[in-house]
Amino acid sequence: MLEVDSISVNYGPVRAVHSVSLTVEEGEIVALLGPNGAGKTSLLSAIIGLVPVAEGTISFQGQNINRLDTESRVERGLSVTPEGRHIFANLTVEENLILGAASRRDKDGIARDLETYLDMFPILRERYTQSGGSLSGGEQQMLAVVRSLMSGPKLLMLDEPSLGLAPRIVDQIFKLISGLRDRGLTILVVEQNAQEALKFADRAYILSTGNLEFSGTAEELRTSADLMKAYIGEGVA
Amino acid sequence: MSAPALDRAPGRRRLWHIDGARTLRSLRGGMIIAVFAVTFGLLIMLFGEPYQVRLAVAAYVNLIIVIGLQIFMGNSNVANLSHSGFVGVGAYITAIFAAPAMIKQTLIPNAPWGIDEVQLGVVAAFIVAVGITGLVALLTGLVLVRLSGIAATILTLAILVIFHGIFVNWVDLFRGTQAFYGIPKVAGIKTMLVATAVVIVIARLFKDSRIGVQLRASATNMLAAEAMGVNIRALRLIAWVLGGMVCGVAGSLYAYYIGTVNARAFFFHAAFLTLSMHILGGMRSVTGAVIGVALISVTMELVRLAESGPVILGVQMPELLGLSGLMLGVIIVLVMCLRPDGLMGGLELDEVIRRYVKRGRN
Amino acid sequence: MQYVVEQALNALSIGAEYSLLALGLAIVFSIMGLVNFAHGEMIGVGGYIMYAMTLFGMGELWMILPVCLLTVVITAVVLERVAFRPVRQAPATTGLLTAFGVSIILQNVFLLGVSPRPKTVPAVSVLNTTVDIGSYTFTILQFLEAGVTAIAIVLLVIFMKRTKVGLAMRAAAYDFTTVRLMGMRANRVIATAFAISGFLAGIAAIFFIARRGAIDPFMGLVPVLKAFVACVLGGFGSLPGAVVGGLVLGILEVVLIIVLPDVMAGMRDAAVFFIVGAILVWRPQGLLGKKTELGDKTA
Repeated sequence: MLEVDSISVNYGPVRAVHSVSLTVEEGEIVALLGPNGAGKTSLLSAIIGLVPVAEGTISFQGQNINRLDTESRVERGLSVTPEGRHIFANLTVEENLILGAASRRDKDGIARDLETYLDMFPILRERYTQSGGSLSGGEQQMLAVVRSLMSGPKLLMLDEPSLGLAPRIVDQIFKLISGLRDRGLTILVVEQNAQEALKFADRAYILSTGNLEFSGTAEELRTSADLMKAYIGEGVA
Repeated sequence: MSAPALDRAPGRRRLWHIDGARTLRSLRGGMIIAVFAVTFGLLIMLFGEPYQVRLAVAAYVNLIIVIGLQIFMGNSNVANLSHSGFVGVGAYITAIFAAPAMIKQTLIPNAPWGIDEVQLGVVAAFIVAVGITGLVALLTGLVLVRLSGIAATILTLAILVIFHGIFVNWVDLFRGTQAFYGIPKVAGIKTMLVATAVVIVIARLFKDSRIGVQLRASATNMLAAEAMGVNIRALRLIAWVLGGMVCGVAGSLYAYYIGTVNARAFFFHAAFLTLSMHILGGMRSVTGAVIGVALISVTMELVRLAESGPVILGVQMPELLGLSGLMLGVIIVLVMCLRPDGLMGGLELDEVIRRYVKRGRN
Repeated sequence: MQYVVEQALNALSIGAEYSLLALGLAIVFSIMGLVNFAHGEMIGVGGYIMYAMTLFGMGELWMILPVCLLTVVITAVVLERVAFRPVRQAPATTGLLTAFGVSIILQNVFLLGVSPRPKTVPAVSVLNTTVDIGSYTFTILQFLEAGVTAIAIVLLVIFMKRTKVGLAMRAAAYDFTTVRLMGMRANRVIATAFAISGFLAGIAAIFFIARRGAIDPFMGLVPVLKAFVACVLGGFGSLPGAVVGGLVLGILEVVLIIVLPDVMAGMRDAAVFFIVGAILVWRPQGLLGKKTELGDKTA
């Protein structure tokens, strides 16, 4: 579904991503792991078109999307839930969700999706008319995910969904994510918390200082203590 | 950039700490720019027609103003539009103290504090004018430095309007919209050249001084700099007062050259003209001020010819009032869209020369 | 009593004019951080198009008002496309200086194209006729200013709350990148912001010209300065702040007209700015503004 072919990303004179290739097949959950500053967010930003690609190509559903702007990529079915959630704190939960569907024109479809997701995430229905800023961290993360879903994506990319959340909430979030896969969604999840991510992922890539260090099944990575130690570090147990 | 930004806990060291070698390099750099700036004037003084000398004097007055502007704006990165007001303060105070008492008794017979009876020497009046301009800058600066970014710029606009309002409405002291004449015409192109050289060196020394370096570092990220213990308000205040005084110098010399002062000369038109000169050359560069003033002065003179409806090949062209203003606007927009750092970027003449020489050697 | 009521409506209507202009500035600033100094020239654009129509015998009120609004909206959108889009990513100072440039260009286009001398638009001046209600004397214009501005503000609030673009504009003031991640076109959001700011400026233009009776190339300067001051007063970028700032400014001016002796009438603008400066010393972030913290989007 998504094919990233040896792309590089520069921030001014600094090269954040060096010739990285990865693929995401339909229906998969793929984890993109790696320490802070590895270039994971840069890679996502390049895939969604917020930063230009210096080299390489990005294809989505067999079509090169290098030259499309962010908005068009969202229309085609890519969606990013940004790191740090970036909820519009000055808008209500409802308004946040409506804005999530900004790229769509099918009114009925939007209303139907809204109902479905509010059933899946009842807490959002409870908070429906509150401002986004008044939500707790976990609630904001759910809102952020649902807001991305409202665009009706084919590929959902989550940037650090567990960041800054309590372990119990992290569990909940990941359960919800794997629930989304059961609904037929393809997911690329960027995580520092490898342990959690690997519980649900089918395959994983490890990025370190802008280079791809490993690619394989989540199973391989989970069972190989050496690999884990080498790339993820011992700190995360 | 010759000076390393923010080396070692900057807030803890004395502001006026002097690093010998660096100061010397800065001084030499300033002198190179000064020589560069003054050369044109010398040539015109020696070989030019009287009208060319007149134009040159006007250009040098503008250059001093732009240098004054550069000292604050170039280092703090806060756009300032009140500078023309400070030029006005310098000019009016000079007029008030230097014009003969006899003339003043007809011009401003109701002046407060019996000021119409006071008459100072030329130099004394100059010093008083610059001093008072500095004082006014200090008072306005105390308010200004409390604001940052856009709010500060808007306050500078307000300051310009307030000054203009005072000039035009305090008739007893400033003669309102009428011209204040009778100022001894003692300044000529020589005075302008000397003053220009001096303020250029001062501006360059300030730019490379600890204050200037910290101010420029803080301009990029004010809150971060504050967190590092840099007292930005104090730094900005120093730059503001120094820049204001340089504008006061320009005003005073202008008054001594032209002999007449009128509030119209210190309002938006003048402010925009000098601002566009500053932008074209590059705000962060003292050399840029020289280049911006030179280019725009020449362009404006050519446009003004077209504006007044010249006779070209025996055909009387129509008057095109507004053409010079239009040019100014176009220059500003083009520079901002294409080269927002101005022609010089942040570089100085001596730095360009050094680079060039280095490249030649390799 | 009569005097108080008349002056109160006067303050309200002057304040409404400033609010309209200030709102336009605040909308654009909140979304893209641009301080649009050329906003005042929209009054000139509206004024000269109405003047031109009068010249060509189309000076009826019902003809010139819609054309005025439409022209100003189009001008605002075109300026965004031509002059402000290239500096969209640039620091605030670059945008501000660009806007200065645009402002000078427009002023001098008026100067070149028409005349430095003031011109009149008779049809609009008719709005300034006085009416007596009981023993009170008002002008039609004062009611229009207060009423139309109130309606415009209500419509704006509805637009910002009920439409997708409106939501996006509010969200963009908070976080533009994320708005783009929603698939909302940045260009569309910004063009809408300029169109709205142009529309409000078009209304303000009609009022300003009706009140003053004449147009000249540099007439936009003082109003835009006042609008800026209103914005700073209310907290730059805050829409409610712009409205409140405009009203406070209107009240301040009327109070100064009453308080200042006639000989000092010319000092009114200076006095207004002086008082605003004093307010800012007390509250640098404006009346409704929040203090900026590290990492905030700052002006």
